[in-house]
Amino acid sequence: MQRYVIRRLVQMVPILLGISIVVFALLAAAPGDQVDLLLSGVPGITPADVIRLKHVYGLDEPPHIRYVKWLERAAQGDFGWSRTYREPVSTLILDRLGNTVSLAAGALVLALAVAVPVGIYSALHQYSALDYAATLFTFFGVSVPVFWFGIMLIYLFGVNWHLLPPGGINSPGVTPGLPLVADRLKYLPLPTLALGLVFMASFTRYTRSSMLEVVRQDFVRTARAKGLPGRVVIRRHALRNALIPLVTVLGVAVPGILAGAPLTETVFSWPGVGKLLVDSTLGADYAVAQGIIMFIAVMAIGANLLVDIAYGILDPRIRFD
Amino acid sequence: MARLPASGSPAVPRPGPGRARLEPAQGSGQGFWALAWYRFRHHKVALAGAAVVLVLVLVTLLAGPIAPYRFEDIDLTARLRSPSWRHLLGTDTIGHDVFTRLLYAGRVSLLVGFSAAVAAASAGILIGATAGFYGGWLDNVLMRITDVSLALPDLPILIVLSKYLGGSVAGIVFVISLFAWRGVARLVRGEVLKLRGQEFADAARALGATDLRILARHLVPNTLAPVIVAATLIVGGAILTEAALSFLGIGIQPPVPSWGNMLQNAQDFILSAPRRRPQGRSGPPAQALGHRAGSRDA
Repeated sequence: MQRYVIRRLVQMVPILLGISIVVFALLAAAPGDQVDLLLSGVPGITPADVIRLKHVYGLDEPPHIRYVKWLERAAQGDFGWSRTYREPVSTLILDRLGNTVSLAAGALVLALAVAVPVGIYSALHQYSALDYAATLFTFFGVSVPVFWFGIMLIYLFGVNWHLLPPGGINSPGVTPGLPLVADRLKYLPLPTLALGLVFMASFTRYTRSSMLEVVRQDFVRTARAKGLPGRVVIRRHALRNALIPLVTVLGVAVPGILAGAPLTETVFSWPGVGKLLVDSTLGADYAVAQGIIMFIAVMAIGANLLVDIAYGILDPRIRFD
Repeated sequence: MARLPASGSPAVPRPGPGRARLEPAQGSGQGFWALAWYRFRHHKVALAGAAVVLVLVLVTLLAGPIAPYRFEDIDLTARLRSPSWRHLLGTDTIGHDVFTRLLYAGRVSLLVGFSAAVAAASAGILIGATAGFYGGWLDNVLMRITDVSLALPDLPILIVLSKYLGGSVAGIVFVISLFAWRGVARLVRGEVLKLRGQEFADAARALGATDLRILARHLVPNTLAPVIVAATLIVGGAILTEAALSFLGIGIQPPVPSWGNMLQNAQDFILSAPRRRPQGRSGPPAQALGHRAGSRDA
């Protein structure tokens, strides 16, 4: 087990290096560097100034040297300085991380809270009207793009019915502390639902099919045969085994959440890491974009590893070699 | 008279109990495609999906004759109009006719979807077949790359890539294909790994066929059925990805319409002009999107 984890951790290094090289090369090849962009609107700049400033920022060196320098600093947690926000990239990301995590966690919890009961019901009452309704819903949830669903939510709840704020994260001028938390609760439901819909749908599918598979197995029949009441069979014997695959799906959902965050956060003007990525990309703030990509890659691969480990603990039939 | 020796010769496997699996492939005299078509015709959901796709393809291809305006036509005196007989789905911020743009945007979306599917499936077949056929370290490296990239969230990386490579249809197709080949590669690798050990592959080798010939003539054609299924899923996925990128403002750039950048335009005005029925603008592209993705699922 320990050796397995260590090997996986070691494997992460070349992966992250590969990603960083690709993204760095691409950003280095992009037209115009930070200094060009910085000075583009400034009057009275001489070519000598440009050369001097490029030297200050180390931009006159060839890309591979710059990459090595970037890597050295990145390894120490320094991802550079944002041109547009005038703050260190790491500070920028960490400031917004809480917002993204609360949104993502909310979406996953909501998805599980709906998907598990619905999936179990669907499996136990296969081909019932509710089962068909659930199937139809999963179909809808999987095919509807988050940016359309989000806009519809804003239109209905925010604009038409005035029930919830159409975007943002807090009302202006709210005092910190308890009022702020209470205020936040009004802003959370719509983006949470928008981001969570896809996962709600896919988790429902997985719960249903996994439950269907488990209830047909021998040990469930044995449990019934020895006279256990149906509820106990379902809860003690079937459900526990049926939920194991859901752990994997949860792991697969982490990249999905990270991919959905830029869209959801943009639709709802939610100041998270995803919106920061979109804004910095549009604003050609290379350091920020590169930092976020690395950050997201670490999170995704880390989540993957965690899930693999959790899987082994939950299901002793799986062994690590 | 001419048929008798053929059907009696030992070279042609006879349909028997043990041969059941061979029968659909080549043995029955029906071609692979004929059989696929037969099965397809008897699948109601598939037919419904195909009908939706076909209508969409036709309508977008015929956008020229159908559309009442040209997609770049603007009428600054009629901005943000509600749907009416003059403008079936209303007009947008600068007076484009939304219905017209919806049709032309469909053209762009479908083009992106199908091109990306073809590009990604080709790359996937190439990578998967190489990995599965040669095995060893090559297989190890290729599959490791595939696994890792499957664990990564694609959209954030696509966002950064398409800022510099996107903008045009070709650029978007390239960027989307960069991430879409993975599923196909895995699939083809698995199939080739399974098939290369079978008798017909050995027979081809014994007859002196080169690696390339065995792969291209014998192994890859046998993997095509699942690849086609996977490729159709890529079409839907690519359309959604393109829409997502264009929605964020880094995909297809206006004035060329795409379902994604139309939605973005719609959102910009959902707050300032809600009485002008924004669903008239955001609704149609999205419904078309949903249909596309949905019908592909079937």
